[in-house]
Amino acid sequence: MSNAKTIEIRVERTIPASPSDVFDGWLNPKTPGTPWSMAEKLILNPVVDGLFYWAISGTAHYGRFSHVERSERIQHTWMSPNTSGLESTVTVTFKKKGKDTVMTLVHSGLPDTDGGRSHEKGWNYFLDGFLSQLTKSAAT
Amino acid sequence: MEQLTDVLSAISHPTRRAIIRRLAKGPARFLDIAEPFDVALNAVTKHLKLLARAGLIAREKRGREVFISLRPEGLRLVADWVHEYERFWNASLDVFEGHFRQQTRSKKS
Repeated sequence: MSNAKTIEIRVERTIPASPSDVFDGWLNPKTPGTPWSMAEKLILNPVVDGLFYWAISGTAHYGRFSHVERSERIQHTWMSPNTSGLESTVTVTFKKKGKDTVMTLVHSGLPDTDGGRSHEKGWNYFLDGFLSQLTKSAAT
Repeated sequence: MEQLTDVLSAISHPTRRAIIRRLAKGPARFLDIAEPFDVALNAVTKHLKLLARAGLIAREKRGREVFISLRPEGLRLVADWVHEYERFWNASLDVFEGHFRQQTRSKKS
């Protein structure tokens, strides 16, 4: 049992497609922007108790799907060197909003360590656009 | 923490972010900074005051002219405050959303 302090990250986007299309897109390794699409090596079995493994630049990520409900919710664990041995949890929900889908991703149980925080490499990225995303979410 | 609040407040407005982007290229005179914006000079002055209060800009007199330059150190507070995974998921979902928006545009055209 770890006493490490953990944090939760919440990111939300409105996607111009139906919940089922967004759900299917999120689990499709060919869809740009999904974690799976970045993998150099991928094993993905998105069913309850199915496992995933993906690696990028020699960094491995593992997890186990605990909830897969089409058009509604996906939940899986997430472990990587950045979780410091902790099993964090990623939950993605899909809510219909008119013709669009509000997609909410919550990554909880993340260790709140210096190693998990961004430092120098955030610079250009910030000035190139992330800053606006950050402040948009900070304002809500 | 107080400066972080000032910095977050300073960068919460699109005009001030545009000013930061402009000053990231190098120091500029007030009128050069104000020129791209379709707002009163008074409004630009107020934006610059907020940026100065957050410690994000500095003024330097060169002869008769005053140049305003970026002091990006304050932005480090924000960079340090943000978790690596927050950057990761924001970037991922930006691309994911962009993919669907591109598909929607393609269907319409």
